[in-house]
Amino acid sequence: MINVSNLSVRLGGRQVIHGISLEAAPGALTAIVGPNGCGKTTTLKAISGELPPESGSVSINGRNLKGLKPWELALKRGVLPQSTVISFPFTVREVVRLGLTAGATSDAKANDRIAADALEAVDLGGFAGRFYQELSGGEQQRVQLARVLCQISDPVADGEPRYLLLDEPVSSLDIRHQLTIMQLARKFCGRGGGVIAVMHDLNLTAMFADRMIMMKSGVIRASGAPGDVLTDETMEAVFGCRMQVSAMPAAGVPFVLPQTATL
Amino acid sequence: MPRSEALNRGMRLTALTADIRAEWRSGNRARLARVVIALLIVFAAATFVGSIMTGAADASLSNVVRWLLGASDADQILSVRDRIIILDIRLPRAVLGMLVGASLAVSGVVMQGLFRNPLADPGLVGVSSGASLGAVLLIVLGSAVFGPLFALFGFYALPVAAFIGGLVTTLLLYRIATRGGQTSVATLLLAGIALGALTGAFTGVLIFMADDKQLRDVTFWGLGSLAGANWTKIAAAAPIILLSLAVTPFLARGLNAITLGEAAAFHMGIPVQRMKNIAIVSVAAATGASVAVSGGIGFVGIVVPHLLRLVIGPDHRYLVPASALLGGTLLILADMIARTIASPAELPIGIVTAFIGAPFFLWILLRGRTTMGL
Repeated sequence: MINVSNLSVRLGGRQVIHGISLEAAPGALTAIVGPNGCGKTTTLKAISGELPPESGSVSINGRNLKGLKPWELALKRGVLPQSTVISFPFTVREVVRLGLTAGATSDAKANDRIAADALEAVDLGGFAGRFYQELSGGEQQRVQLARVLCQISDPVADGEPRYLLLDEPVSSLDIRHQLTIMQLARKFCGRGGGVIAVMHDLNLTAMFADRMIMMKSGVIRASGAPGDVLTDETMEAVFGCRMQVSAMPAAGVPFVLPQTATL
Repeated sequence: MPRSEALNRGMRLTALTADIRAEWRSGNRARLARVVIALLIVFAAATFVGSIMTGAADASLSNVVRWLLGASDADQILSVRDRIIILDIRLPRAVLGMLVGASLAVSGVVMQGLFRNPLADPGLVGVSSGASLGAVLLIVLGSAVFGPLFALFGFYALPVAAFIGGLVTTLLLYRIATRGGQTSVATLLLAGIALGALTGAFTGVLIFMADDKQLRDVTFWGLGSLAGANWTKIAAAAPIILLSLAVTPFLARGLNAITLGEAAAFHMGIPVQRMKNIAIVSVAAATGASVAVSGGIGFVGIVVPHLLRLVIGPDHRYLVPASALLGGTLLILADMIARTIASPAELPIGIVTAFIGAPFFLWILLRGRTTMGL
């Protein structure tokens, strides 16, 4: 369980997160959505331990982040940043294996298999020998995800669930790979791990998320099952965009169409 | 059966190259890197011996070796002159060349890793100028102002002064160019130019104040040379250089991780701040010690790592030792050119490295513009 309680974060002198509390349970995909600049990424950075809270606390499996060393944290959660520029000529294989920095076994065969499986999982099976710098943005994003999967290869380790923190994991992917990656995240939850993802696409979020947290201006405006959060009222209140939320008849999964919007 | 054994060996070599080629295609350059390092060790040893054997004067190395091994006819086979030429002139020069070259190349690698950019080089971004300023400050103001420093460090005073100069510049540079874990390349290079100019101006003031003897000592820092190599200089610089080189292999994993950014390195379990502190101090120490004994020799720190990255890739676990070897070897070669091309006169080695390094640097810029964030 990841627990965030009363978290406030100050960034460059300005308070951007105002005392938010949330929980992310293992086995569940928790999605954070909201308009640009509402503090989604900052929240994720505080959860990853990258940004220190001004007040409040973050704990992972019952342990406060403050008391954990970088390598201990690295064994509990992996983080996918929005985009990663590398100015050295690494091959895809080399980038992915950087994920083995923490917690790699000394078994070379096992490491090879973990790295190969991770690339396969993001649908980049034949890409090991390519140069990272020569890939498209979407491919680079998937390589980075494979790197994170190398770090957190098992959703559960030593009887404790582990977590993936994903910052817009599908932002530059084509529709097919958006689905591949979201399914991968779901599968990770299915095997006992937890996922927190910052998302932009509300429809994908509604399809895949167990819980949806909607933020605006550094506070949480709504949270719960996608069907409860995604309503005409919250859409207008949070995004300032009057539109109609519909639902797929069979599954009851809500969706929104930009065609229904009036600004 | 020597013939079939040779054939056997040949087949094994072919199998090895085939393996390496297959691994390369699947993005795995680890074994290639190890083979390259082995070749570099051989190359370094050969160059080292070669440089002791060549020079303006004739001196027989084999006689020296026999003398060192305690041959019974030792006194007849070796003249005093040969002994001095080999043991007190060429050998310290080769040792110093190896040390300084290794230190410059490794400083380049570490700094480039730290700033996540292949253009960051202590010589280019003003760290060497800062180190020279420290050294010149000590020479000109001397014992009047720095009496305690001399008393405390003895003949280490000069490398220590250069180290402090280099450290201050590196810290300033880091402060200016890095915001929130992201280094702006443009800011880095421009701040480097400004810091270089500023430290250069201070050095200018000191030169203006200097007397004739000090002036001769100071001018030496401008060009860079191994000509003054002797065992005392080596004793002063070697411990500092070897110590900072010894630290760098432990930074390798951290430097690899930090190529993805400081945040990503932290996510992967690297204690980023501590690693950066160690890296900065070791770069400043290695650069300071090198500058103190050989002046500002440019471009080794940028050419060597770049060449090696093209062949074995940027994995610092291999890049660091390979750079140390190639840096030392190339500096000895450059020194051989410097002392034979206009023989018996000697060209400062800084001129040779600049003639080779500067065009190479331009070539890097032209072919790497898109991938280096420029």
